[in-house]
Amino acid sequence: MDDYLIGVLSNIGIISFIALSAYVLLLTGEISFGQQAFFAIGAYASGIATALWHWPLAAGLAWGAAAAAAAAALVGVPTLRLHGLYFAIATLAFAEMVRLLFELFHYQVLIDGELVGPNGAEGFRNIRYIFDNNIDATEFLVLVYVLLSATLLGFFLLERSRLGVIFRMTGEDEVLAELSGVAVGRYKVLAAGIAGALAGIGGGLYAHLTTYVEPRIFDVMLGVHSLAYGLIGGLGTALGPLAGVLIDIGVLESTRWFAGYRMIVFGGLVAVLLIVRPRGLLDEVVVRNIRKAWRRTSPLRLGRHEKQGQP
Amino acid sequence: MLEISDLVTAYGKIEALKGVSLQIAGGRITCLLGPNGAGKTTLMMTIAGILQPRRGSIRLDGAELVGLSPARIVAQGVALVPENRLVFPQMSVRENLLAGAYQRGDKAGISADIERMYQRFPRLAERREQLAGTLSGGEQQMLAVARALMSRPRLLLMDEPSLGLAPLVVAEVFRIVADLDRDGTTIFLVEQNAHMALQVARHFYLMEQGRVTFDGTPGELAEDEVIQRAYLGTRRATA
Amino acid sequence: MTDFVQNTLDGLMIGSSYGLLALGFTLIFGVMRRLNLSYGPSIMVGAYLGTFVYVQFGASPIAVAALAVAGAVLAGIYVERLCFAPMGPGAGIASMVSSFAIWMQLEQAAILVLPRHTYPYPPLAAVAPLMLGPFMVRLDHLVMLVAAIALSTGMHLLLYRTRFGLALRAIIGNPVAAHLVGVNVRTAMLGAFALASGIGGIAGYLVLAADQQVTSMFGMWATIKGLIAMMIGGLGSIPGAVLGGLVLGIIEMHGQWYFGSQVRDLIAYFLLFACLVLRPGGLLGDAPTRETAAYGRRA
Repeated sequence: MDDYLIGVLSNIGIISFIALSAYVLLLTGEISFGQQAFFAIGAYASGIATALWHWPLAAGLAWGAAAAAAAAALVGVPTLRLHGLYFAIATLAFAEMVRLLFELFHYQVLIDGELVGPNGAEGFRNIRYIFDNNIDATEFLVLVYVLLSATLLGFFLLERSRLGVIFRMTGEDEVLAELSGVAVGRYKVLAAGIAGALAGIGGGLYAHLTTYVEPRIFDVMLGVHSLAYGLIGGLGTALGPLAGVLIDIGVLESTRWFAGYRMIVFGGLVAVLLIVRPRGLLDEVVVRNIRKAWRRTSPLRLGRHEKQGQP
Repeated sequence: MLEISDLVTAYGKIEALKGVSLQIAGGRITCLLGPNGAGKTTLMMTIAGILQPRRGSIRLDGAELVGLSPARIVAQGVALVPENRLVFPQMSVRENLLAGAYQRGDKAGISADIERMYQRFPRLAERREQLAGTLSGGEQQMLAVARALMSRPRLLLMDEPSLGLAPLVVAEVFRIVADLDRDGTTIFLVEQNAHMALQVARHFYLMEQGRVTFDGTPGELAEDEVIQRAYLGTRRATA
Repeated sequence: MTDFVQNTLDGLMIGSSYGLLALGFTLIFGVMRRLNLSYGPSIMVGAYLGTFVYVQFGASPIAVAALAVAGAVLAGIYVERLCFAPMGPGAGIASMVSSFAIWMQLEQAAILVLPRHTYPYPPLAAVAPLMLGPFMVRLDHLVMLVAAIALSTGMHLLLYRTRFGLALRAIIGNPVAAHLVGVNVRTAMLGAFALASGIGGIAGYLVLAADQQVTSMFGMWATIKGLIAMMIGGLGSIPGAVLGGLVLGIIEMHGQWYFGSQVRDLIAYFLLFACLVLRPGGLLGDAPTRETAAYGRRA
């Protein structure tokens, strides 16, 4: 596999994390423009861990995810009473605050005669863990997709678990959920934490792949994009946001020859798509139909149907 | 006056109206009875143009209403007093009435009509500058009716005007409905409260699960055993 | 003390442009209950049109202003037709995402035509700043303040004294009932959009004429400032939009004076966040109910 393709696939994998992060919140019925903040926290935290504290990559990534999750849960509490547009704008405000704080954040340590660490608006260079440890591009790609697959497995289990039902119930009708005895507040904070962790993992992977991050990257654009992936790809399944990412990055890469017009074409296409399919490509209805068709034709299930006496 | 033929309205895959046909004659009150979920409000919303039917036709004195925008339907002389009143909460009573006359241009006529509404609905007159959102349920119902009347409609549609109101207020509402009938207004009334409806309406339809299941006079309605039991709560003594 | 008053004055001036931006935003949100992420970018289209004729043809400030407003209105109508009109009730989120896609589209189109990072803008008039005692007031800033007052007054008159305004208030009050009294809702919404874009175009022009330049970040900037001012003042409130803009402007000016421009933006966002958490209705708006916050789910 050539380097270019590896690069594109790695990108797709990493961006998928922040897309899934926004997706988790969408499941509970909230729009967030701010997941890029936790992406940033994951990037900086894990970068600091490996480059300044000499931690191994796994520990660094875990630390990044944990820091992001904690921050997300912390911010989830005061915003609990906010809904809809108010919540969305609060997340935007918070994310911009985080970005601006990183522009003021200096933490540098002398390593081998060089100053390493976040340097405000100039960013954080030399997150060189994978190079210092001879991890090549293909190995890193595998790491990204192993983590992504584990995450997707997690979502698969979530959809079939009580927690998943609670999340979707909260998303459908929060008042009804509360009346049915669901401690909505607690679950929303939990969802925020999970979403934060996902973005944090993505951020950590991103920082180590590119070896350099700066606050400018983690802007509103990134946040709105990650939200858009889910809304375009569909919210019926965790594969929806991935579809959105594939479409965006796939289109980006395959249209390099008219790169200057990419957004003009893509933007128009998305707008038209949304007129026809306002709930995204893989929305709940489509997913249900696919699942029905799968059940009907899958030989693995015929046994059970026979038992139930269905044709 | 209003001729509905084979009307089908659906929400996605669910057909709320499964081929409804009925006629509303001019100058009297026609009542549509039926349980919750029968599709009565869907029918009203379709006539008003808020919902688009999949099939069928709605003719007002021969003119087809299906396909027209709600604003055009109002222009044709149809006004709906919707379920749940739907007053403009931030506007005063007076402004709500003005809004009802939105399509009219005759300022003098509008002012005169507003005065007439104040006379017909004294409680509204007392509260003319009050914000509609702060009115009681009964007052909002009066306001909704008055607002609809401001467009001087040929056909007045009323969707469950007694819903959620205390019995005394319900009686007042139906007194007004009877008044309007006396003035010659054509009214198509949707109601769950069959007792009150029997006192004012001259023709009845019954709708169940998206279909018309009864079409007849109040006398025939009172004689029908099934309806008796289901909607009037009385039982005929066995002969 | 002089500094404090000077900063407050400057804040009032720049705040009035924020207020104008918020005015347009709040009109669209109040009427449609949907967030238009293309608001700033459509103003930018107008702004770029203005700078284009200035750079290519040396057009006068009046011509530039007229084209900036016209461009913003045309772009606004384009956004409305594509992202908002075709969506049924309850598709508020789809509208928002669609407006985001068009934001990208408009920004890229503008950059294609005018690829440099910054372009010059003609000043309103080459007049020396006024001196009110020890305080300095620039004429073009004063024009901003006057424009903000004039336009918000005009908007109030429009809403409460005209038939179009009645239609808009009906839609804001209850969209279904608006249909039932015979308002042509689709046309009214298009009109509201065009009006909001026009106001935004004026705001944009005044800011750029004062700055004497336009940059490629302008679209995003306008959206964010308008959004923050709108939320501080209270969603759906016209006096709130102006007040929110003024408050934002004043706080920004003081923040910049004492802490520098990075902290200035930080303060603005913190103000917004605190406002949302503590008093989501803003200064003059109503506290949000579950219903009003249920984004796009109302008819």
